[in-house]
Amino acid sequence: MRHKKAFIVITTLLALSLLLSACAQTAETPGGPPAAVAPTRTREQNIELGRQHKTAEDLFKALREEAKGGKKLEWNRMPDWSGIYSRPLDKGFNFDVDQPKDQPSSAKLTPEYQEKLVKRIADVKRGIEWDPISTCAPPGVPRWLTEPFLREWVVTPNQTWLINEMVNDIRRVYTDGRDHVPVEDRLPTPNGDSIGFWDGPRLVLHTNQLKAGIYQRGNPDYTDQVETVEIWQKTDDKTMSVEVWVYDPPALVEPWYVHHTYLKLSDPPRIQYWDCGENPNNVVVQTKEGTTAFKDLNFSDEKQKGKP
Amino acid sequence: MKSTLASALILMMGLIVTTVPSLGHHSGAMFDNTKTITVEGVVKKWELTNPHSWLWVDVKGKDGKTVTWGFEAEGPSTLLRAGIKPSDFKTGTALKITGNPMRNGEPAAIWVDAVRTSDGKKFDPRAGFAVK
Repeated sequence: MRHKKAFIVITTLLALSLLLSACAQTAETPGGPPAAVAPTRTREQNIELGRQHKTAEDLFKALREEAKGGKKLEWNRMPDWSGIYSRPLDKGFNFDVDQPKDQPSSAKLTPEYQEKLVKRIADVKRGIEWDPISTCAPPGVPRWLTEPFLREWVVTPNQTWLINEMVNDIRRVYTDGRDHVPVEDRLPTPNGDSIGFWDGPRLVLHTNQLKAGIYQRGNPDYTDQVETVEIWQKTDDKTMSVEVWVYDPPALVEPWYVHHTYLKLSDPPRIQYWDCGENPNNVVVQTKEGTTAFKDLNFSDEKQKGKP
Repeated sequence: MKSTLASALILMMGLIVTTVPSLGHHSGAMFDNTKTITVEGVVKKWELTNPHSWLWVDVKGKDGKTVTWGFEAEGPSTLLRAGIKPSDFKTGTALKITGNPMRNGEPAAIWVDAVRTSDGKKFDPRAGFAVK
């Protein structure tokens, strides 16, 4: 009798462990939302994956084929990406967080863009720096990934919104099966045009039609031919993770693979409207030397009246 | 003649580049982050604004003249994450404040830390970037 009970307990535990193991592999909870999973490839494998595909579009299509087209989300089976997150800055501002501080960029740049980067770093050491977002322009993609402010992810079956509080910046990722805007009607914008699909708990997306910019202060430039493939996922209850492949033939000799994580804040403030132009003391000009200077800094109430 | 016109055009373009103002999330290149200054004074104005906030502090010099210093910090949400609230710096609040000064000697600095005289409370704006 005792042996029979033990047999039932062991069999039940074994069945449960097999079920949990199957769920972890498929990243699906039967009847429930997709579960959080760890990334499936190593950094080296991801770098190699980028090299195997000539364009971002090719990589995106390969990932879609691997996922058998992906599976559309349904309102009763949604991943829980709620909460407010931010990018930890313990590894600095570099676009590649694995790149040690004060080390050369891990991007394999073309000679022209390598030269630009060397000059930028030398200028910063001399106190000369101009940031293109001094105009209140949005950071744009891919720089969007590196900003240190508050973030939210809003998931719906047909669209996912990737939100950065800075300048009220929203990336809309269409997951309803639509394609990119036809080539003849494309209009480059800071955040470009993003389409994606769901591979279990992972959002896989492709962004094109972007504008030129910089990856971050002290980092390389990218051109208006830049495109990204990103795989977003929640890797545990407090961590959002993204794997990124950047393709930009004029500036990059090969795709640049990086990953970023964003951690959930335990007691975040509310996200409020970000009026970038509200304070005249933040007005700057670019000097002849190429650096940043305040236009008319002053701390007199009278002088500030009537300013833009 | 053509080259003279071209040179004039390039010069004009250069002037435009140097005079078109931009209002946004600027580099801190105008500040010298290898130096710090510390002043004591009272709050004149507390501007919690994006992308940068400004704390105006009236500082009385040895000659008896008052100079208003501006201390630049991040925007409201980052300051709130650092525990710095709108109510912390009412006009007239006495404090000691430290920052990285302007390279050109103007009375402004990047706010590094501050201590409020009335209760000794410390304020570190950059703590707002910690993720916790």
